[in-house]
Amino acid sequence: MTAFHPRSVARLAASMFALALVAGCATPPPADDKEAVAEWEQINDPLEPTNRAIFEFNQAVDKAILKPLAQGYRAAVPQFGRDRVRDFLNNLRSPIVFANDVLQGEPDRAVQTAMRFAFNTGFGIGGLFDLASEGGIPFHEEDFGQTFAVWGVPDGPYLVLPILGPSNPRDTAGLATEWLADPVNIWWDNTGAEWAIWTRTGVAGVDKRERFLDPLDEVERTSLDFYAAVRSLYKQRREAEIRNDKVVDKVPAASVSSAGEPAQESN
Amino acid sequence: MLSRRTLIVAVAAAAFAVLGGAAKADARQDAARAFIEKLADTAMTTVAVKDIDDAERNRRFRTLFVESFDLAEIGKLVLGRYWRIATPAQQQEFLKLFEEIQVLTWAKRFKDYSGETLDVVAVHPDGELNVSVDSLIRRQKMDPIAVTWLVRKSGEGFRVLDIKVEGASMAFTHRSEYTSVIQASGGQVEGLLGAMRRKIGQMQAEQSAAR
Repeated sequence: MTAFHPRSVARLAASMFALALVAGCATPPPADDKEAVAEWEQINDPLEPTNRAIFEFNQAVDKAILKPLAQGYRAAVPQFGRDRVRDFLNNLRSPIVFANDVLQGEPDRAVQTAMRFAFNTGFGIGGLFDLASEGGIPFHEEDFGQTFAVWGVPDGPYLVLPILGPSNPRDTAGLATEWLADPVNIWWDNTGAEWAIWTRTGVAGVDKRERFLDPLDEVERTSLDFYAAVRSLYKQRREAEIRNDKVVDKVPAASVSSAGEPAQESN
Repeated sequence: MLSRRTLIVAVAAAAFAVLGGAAKADARQDAARAFIEKLADTAMTTVAVKDIDDAERNRRFRTLFVESFDLAEIGKLVLGRYWRIATPAQQQEFLKLFEEIQVLTWAKRFKDYSGETLDVVAVHPDGELNVSVDSLIRRQKMDPIAVTWLVRKSGEGFRVLDIKVEGASMAFTHRSEYTSVIQASGGQVEGLLGAMRRKIGQMQAEQSAAR
C-alpha cells in the first residue's frame, strides 16, 4: 500500500494544523452585533487568514503548472479525444458513485449507475464511449462528502486544501474515504500497478482543470475578491449537489480552484 | 331553499375564485416564461452580434440590462446590511458602479458568443410576487448550463432579481464577496466603492487591449 498510505493523510493534516497555528484565526465580530454574527456564522470561515494563505499558494501552483498543463491538454487533444478521456474516467468512478447512491438510499440512481457501468464497460469499449448517456441514462456524480451530508453530518468551517482547493472537514473526510475505498485503485495497488493510480490521478486532475479553465477565468476577471467569490460558489454548488438538483446534475462542480480528484497528489 | 341556493352560489363563487386565482398564477408563469425567452432572444440578436464595436456592444447591453433587471432591488440584496449604513450618495454610486461592472462582465461574454441557445425547461412560482424560470443554456458539444432566473412582476412586465447558475446565486455570491471587501476595509462602504472603481478601470483596460 505504498501509493495511498493513511499515514500521509495524518502527516498532511498535522502540517496543515501547524500552518493554521502560524497564520492564525480570523477575529469574530462582537456578540452584540447580531447581523454581523449571523454573517460570520453563515460565511463560516474562522480560519480565513490560513485559508487565504493556502489559496495564494494554490494560485501560484496553478499559474505555474496546473493551468498551463490544462491549456496544453486543450490545445493538443481535440474535443473528441477529451470526451473519451472523460467518459473513461467517469466509468472508472462508477463503483464509488454506486456505493454512494446506495449509502444515500437512492436505489433508482444506484441501478442507473450499475447499468451504465455494465453497458459502457462492455459496449463502450472499456468505458471509452458513454453510450448509456445517449441511451437516456446520463452520468451523475456522487461522493462520500455528499453521502455524509445526506446522513446529517454538518459541513463544518470552510477549508482550503493545498493543491486540492476549496473544501470543509466533511468533504475532506469524504475525499479521504474515497481515496482509501476506491476498488479500482485498491486493485491496481495490489497488483503492483501503482503507475496506473498515478496516471489516473494526474489525468483526472488535468481533465478537471481543463473543464474549469473558462469558468474560473471568468470569476477571476469579474470578482473584486476572488477568494471570497470562490468560497461562496463552492458552498452553493455543494449544497445544490447534495440536494441532487436535477438540472444541476449534468455538470460537475464549479468548485475546485486547482486540479486533482482524489488526494493522492498531495502525498 | 333560499339558504341552500345561497350556499350553492357561495360554493360556486369560491370555486371560481380559486380557479381564477390558479388561472392568474398560470398566466403569470406563462408571461414570465415569455419574458425570459424574449430577453434571451433580444440579447442574442442585438448584443451577441459580431459586426459591432465594444462601445456599441456595451451600450446595447446596458440598455437591455437597465430595462430588464431590477437594479435597485439587486443593489439592496447585494449590499445587505451595508445598504442601510451607506449614505444616499454612496448608494447611488454603488448602483452606478455595479451596473458598470455588469456591463463589462456581460459585454465580453456576449462578444465570445458562439451559438448557445436558451431553453426554458420549467417555471414555478416563488412566493406571492416572484417566479422562478429554470432554463438550460445549450452549448455545442458541451454539457448544457443550468440557469434559473428569479423574476418579479413589475407593472406590465417583469424584472430579473437574481440569476442562479448551476445552483449558485449571483446576488448571493456578490453579497458574500462585497461583504468581505467591506470588512477588509474596516467596515467602510467607501472601501468597496474604491475596489469597484479599480476593478472597472482594470476591466476597461482589458477590453481595449483585447480589441
